[in-house]
Amino acid sequence: MSHGHAVETNGAHGGPALPHSHRKQYIILGVVLSLVTFIELGIPLVKGVPELWTAAKEVWAPLLIVLSIFKFGAVVGDFMHLRSDLTLYKILFISPLFLAMFSFFAIGSLSVVHYAPFGKGYAITAQDLADGYVPPTVGGGADAPWADDKFEAAFVDAQKAGFAKGKETFAASCVSCHRADGGGMPGLGVNLTDDCYKHGGKVAALYTTIAKGVSGTAMPAWQSSMDSEKLRQVAYYVHSLKGMNVAGGKACEGAKE
Amino acid sequence: MSAHAENLTHDDAHGHESHGALSENNFLGLPNIKLAMWAFLGSECMFFGSLIGTYFFYHGNSLGGPLPKDVFSIGITSISTFLLLMSSLTMALAVDAMKQQKPLTARTFILITAALGACFVGFQVVEFHEFYTEKHLVFAGANASLFGSTFYTMTGFHGTHVTVGVIWLLIMSVLITKKKLVPGKEAVNVEVMGLYWHFVDIVWIVIFTFVYLLEFLK
Ligand code: HEC
Repeated sequence: MSHGHAVETNGAHGGPALPHSHRKQYIILGVVLSLVTFIELGIPLVKGVPELWTAAKEVWAPLLIVLSIFKFGAVVGDFMHLRSDLTLYKILFISPLFLAMFSFFAIGSLSVVHYAPFGKGYAITAQDLADGYVPPTVGGGADAPWADDKFEAAFVDAQKAGFAKGKETFAASCVSCHRADGGGMPGLGVNLTDDCYKHGGKVAALYTTIAKGVSGTAMPAWQSSMDSEKLRQVAYYVHSLKGMNVAGGKACEGAKE
Repeated sequence: MSAHAENLTHDDAHGHESHGALSENNFLGLPNIKLAMWAFLGSECMFFGSLIGTYFFYHGNSLGGPLPKDVFSIGITSISTFLLLMSSLTMALAVDAMKQQKPLTARTFILITAALGACFVGFQVVEFHEFYTEKHLVFAGANASLFGSTFYTMTGFHGTHVTVGVIWLLIMSVLITKKKLVPGKEAVNVEVMGLYWHFVDIVWIVIFTFVYLLEFLK
């Protein structure tokens, strides 16, 4: 221990010149980063204050992203002191960072190719299933050398069963306004078979619309009468109707997706 | 290694040349280990970039299973985020202390960093357990969803990185205690561990903002 102590105090008594201590800057940066994190945490809470939320609706998400980029830069630049370190280290780190963004988009285009047999995202239409189409599930589908047949079969069965239940639910609860084929009743529900949505066409968005309803319109909230399992099934079914464009369907309402 | 470290303690100030250590400088005059770490972290950017990218490209396309909003609880995640952020500060202070030839102070900060990291991992274990047993978010198999698989893969790999970091920190603190890691030339070993640790923190900064917080803005 005494030896360690000697080393400990070595610096204070004119040993070899020590590098300048950054302790103060680090502590200040730590405080700043904590404050930024608190601001970040506050942003989702703004949603609870409708006036504030709608006053700057387009600002909140970009603000979160900017704050996180700031934190990222501060940790890399100052805690890892890349800012004042060698260019070689900067190149070693920053070029792959850009490559990573490329791979981000590469994965995106891959997923579109792979999961869009009909060029419509992951949506499998009711017609496709009726035609006996078995959707690819795990990367590469059933033909991939690494595909596990049992897994595939179980997955597809579960998918089909859920889909059939979603169809049943739709027939029981939704056709009075959205019509049996989803084309929409005049003066009532909107056309669910076009590619226009007022509240978003992804499964998650459909789920939310169906669960919460659309206040001020005839569209009821279904979350009190359906559990999340049932809501998901019907959301998935509605998703599958996208782009079917049934004959006599109502005109496009909302934004094309 | 032991004899080498002893030598360093006594002779470092007189320009003693050590041989074969990872902290040795290479032909560019740079510490091998630091150069290697930056190259490794570059590759880690690609690794986590792909995992986070995969999560987002399947986001909103799950056919079943709970949705992110059904499972995320911002409270627990905020606490663990804060712990990890503070661990970056204590890590930076440890590196600084080592450069200031204060190995004991450095060791204290290293142990605090390890404790904060261990808490983070603990919170993640609790979170995963709750997601799996109570919220039925499944990783693989017939009940799995794209959300479950991509979420667990991404955050699981991050948690593994934190775990590796904690083990590394603990090993370093033992080495400092045994005086096998002494200030001077070998301070770079602590600095490099710091680089790894800060990297793990920035990955979480990205995941926390993009995966958790933005979810609550939708
Ligand atoms: C009482 C009539 C009524 C019933 C029953 C009804 N809806 Fe609707 N639904 C509407 C109306 C009206 C709208 C348009 C809301 C608007 O203008 O924003 C709508 C909109 C929707 C939307 C949003 C479409 C978009 O453009 O974003 C979805 C999805 C939807 N309904 C699904 C369902 C499902 C699923 C059911 C059955 C569980 C159902 N609806 C039952 C009347 C109904």
